[in-house]
Amino acid sequence: MTRFLLRRSVQALFVLLALAAVLYAVFYLAPGDPARLACGPKCSVAQVQQVRTQMGLDDPVYAQFWHFLRGIVAGHTYSTGTGALHCPAPCLGQSYRTGELVTSIVGEKLPATASLALGAMVLWLIIGVGTGLVSALRRGGIVERLLTAFTLVGVATPVFITGILLLLVFCAWLQWLPYPSYVPLTDDPQQWAWNLLLPWLALALVEAAKYARLTRSSLLETLAEDHIRTFRAYGVGERAIVRRHALRGALAPVIALSALDLGTIFGGALLTETLFGIPGLGQQLVQSVQLKDLPVIVGIVLVMGLAVVVANALADVLYALADRRVVLR
Amino acid sequence: MPHLPLVSHRTSTRIGVIVVGLALAGGTAACGPKSGGGAKAADASPHRGGTLYVLNNQAQEDFDPARLYTSGGGNVPSLVYRTLTTRNRADGAAGSKVVPDLATDTGEPSQNATVWTYHLKDGLTYEDGTPITTADIKYDIERSFAPELSGGAPYLRDWLVGAAGYQGPYKDPKGLSAIQTPDAKTIVFHLNKPEGEFPLLATQTSFAPVPKAKDTGVNYAEHPVSSGPYRVVKNENNGEHLVLVRNPHWSAATDSQRKAYPDTIDVQSGLDQAVIDQRLSAGVGKDADAVTTDTNLGPAELAKITGDKNLASRVGTGHFGYTDYIAFNPKVKPFDNIKVREAIAYAVNRTTVINAQGGSSLNEPATTFLPPQASFGYTPYDPFPAGATGNPAKAKELLKEAGYPNGLTVSLTHDVTKGDEQGPEVATAIQEALKLAGITVKLDGQEHNAFSDKVHDLKTEPGFFLAGWGADWPSGGPFLGPIFDGRQIVSGGSNFNNAQLDDPAVNNEIDAINKITDLKAAAVRWGALDKKIGEQALTVPLYHPVYKRLFGKNIRNVVISDWTGVLDISQVAVK
Repeated sequence: MTRFLLRRSVQALFVLLALAAVLYAVFYLAPGDPARLACGPKCSVAQVQQVRTQMGLDDPVYAQFWHFLRGIVAGHTYSTGTGALHCPAPCLGQSYRTGELVTSIVGEKLPATASLALGAMVLWLIIGVGTGLVSALRRGGIVERLLTAFTLVGVATPVFITGILLLLVFCAWLQWLPYPSYVPLTDDPQQWAWNLLLPWLALALVEAAKYARLTRSSLLETLAEDHIRTFRAYGVGERAIVRRHALRGALAPVIALSALDLGTIFGGALLTETLFGIPGLGQQLVQSVQLKDLPVIVGIVLVMGLAVVVANALADVLYALADRRVVLR
Repeated sequence: MPHLPLVSHRTSTRIGVIVVGLALAGGTAACGPKSGGGAKAADASPHRGGTLYVLNNQAQEDFDPARLYTSGGGNVPSLVYRTLTTRNRADGAAGSKVVPDLATDTGEPSQNATVWTYHLKDGLTYEDGTPITTADIKYDIERSFAPELSGGAPYLRDWLVGAAGYQGPYKDPKGLSAIQTPDAKTIVFHLNKPEGEFPLLATQTSFAPVPKAKDTGVNYAEHPVSSGPYRVVKNENNGEHLVLVRNPHWSAATDSQRKAYPDTIDVQSGLDQAVIDQRLSAGVGKDADAVTTDTNLGPAELAKITGDKNLASRVGTGHFGYTDYIAFNPKVKPFDNIKVREAIAYAVNRTTVINAQGGSSLNEPATTFLPPQASFGYTPYDPFPAGATGNPAKAKELLKEAGYPNGLTVSLTHDVTKGDEQGPEVATAIQEALKLAGITVKLDGQEHNAFSDKVHDLKTEPGFFLAGWGADWPSGGPFLGPIFDGRQIVSGGSNFNNAQLDDPAVNNEIDAINKITDLKAAAVRWGALDKKIGEQALTVPLYHPVYKRLFGKNIRNVVISDWTGVLDISQVAVK
């Protein structure tokens, strides 16, 4: 296990470094000049140049990347005009646009995104796996058909439609819930959950169908395997077969898929974030891409990358726990 | 049936499209005399107290007075920052006037309007009770030159004597010699040419005071020192969530413009536009005390208000001076031929263009470059009367005269952002209209930043593209100058004179009008100049946007000026 973690950590480090290097390399190929965008459309050439110097964009790309790497290890000190702003290691740089430290931007946005992603995942696993199990065990029944229809509608409706409908029904018509506004978990756990309920649901409904289908087919497949038939032949009860033996094998692919989805949602739940006014990484990333705010883009992409890497490592561990045939290396 | 989310209500805050964009993050939508529900709501007498909620799409970014690019001081910013002059807080055309704010008058011009002198009112203090001085106003202007605090309006750099190379007080503490403060209450500006509209520029937040001892450079926006009726107690995520409470040291006795009825103002941004409309329309709980300053009605609400009087009475209609147009670069063939440009002007179908942008309730057809408001000097004219749907027959005739009896093929450059004013919907509408006149239009769609880079750089400027222009203040000067003044043709990516017009007669007339300090007299001349330039078919004006924005059930005293086009937060009451 220690070897596994060590190996994965080294791998993760290389993946993240490669990600950052690629971003720096392709950044200048995209249209738009960050200095001009920060300066404003009517800035003169001389003014844009002043801003460019201020941002450190005069240096060659490799020097900027080196600067970035050094900041991660050794930190940086920036000028605020009137004083100095120290950015302790690991320093991811300073926003071109606002001068804010990237670590504090990510620190502000990450809790909201993590709250959204983790909560939604719990919900989609409950809805998806639950529906999948019921439909596998009660094949052909009315419950199966209803649940399948429900999840299909969920996945076929884009999140901005589901979201706006949920808001209309629960906030405007029934008035059971307030229009969501993000409350940090540390401020008020109850309000945190209450305000995130609809965004979780909107996201979960979209994802759940996928999990229902996967759970269903995977469970049916496992139930048809030889060792299950052997258990049956020994007279083990159906309930125990499903609970003790089949489920474990059937859930392995579900775990793997969750890990991937969680990583994606960390940076890609833009529509849900916008619709429900959640100040998360997705919104920030899109805004930063429009303004070509490279340090912030790199910071967020690194966090997303880290989420994917960690989630995958976690999935591998869970996979091994679920299916004893898998060995961690 | 709920409305679908809109990708594209127009907001006035599109970066890179208009100069005024950033300015109005606080909003833009005004009502003239036509305002639907505004007048009715204004009848209910307003009272102090309560919390006003502002639900916006765009964040109030860079809340530093040196960085804000505002028209008339902005909407939210003007609650915190008082300026030498400000916009008159009145409905419609009366709201286009400039009035004194910190200063005793709108400025005393001398030496042919190249020197402007202001005196501060008595008893002006910051939120901590310390007195406001003219040195602090000079200091904020100097800060606006610092590359650390980029983003503000460029005028002072061009206008102040010897300011072109100045890099702000952090790098150059000696300051700007063109601004003198002989005493704590007097400030004198020395300009390098006559500028009769200087009082209108003095409404921008760079003319707000910033006490040097409290300046924290790039961090100032988090806790600015207020000179207005409210102070900032919370500024989260770079203006995404602002909470303002009363500034106990502000006095209505020195401020005739801001009413400041609510005790607290809570500005929440980053919200989806469809959700903003849904919330204001439903008006559940706190949303009854809410307004938006940047989100137009969506199709669902637009459809609903025709049959729902209650909802219709909660729509504020406003006009901000803005024109969307087709731009020509006559240096590119065949647009060097005026007949070709005229043919396109005749062939354009403004009805389909307007439908592509949300329909006739959100846009008015344009035939003049200047917006249809008196303060701009609006003079109605239509040199190429195409009617509402275009005149392809006349266009064909002109093409024949131009030497293209069999029609021609041209390329139209546009932004690929869906719903954008320069976006694919408008481009397609133009393509179809021109087809009827025998003009085949190839669409050249560009990514947002690439589009802006391409059309504003003299080296890459195409011959035929979509453009839009908004005013930094409601006058012909900032409207016609950047687009048609030959001295404002600039290389390096910030050229807005799309026709690259350098006509001595036009340049001289602009100089002559800039000398006039009587703004009404100047407006007449701007109107006449617009008409004269319009005859050259260097642009084809398409439409002027109209703002229609909902406000909550409890909102009173809705005032929408023609300056900003949106309801003025400083006037609104929730009780």
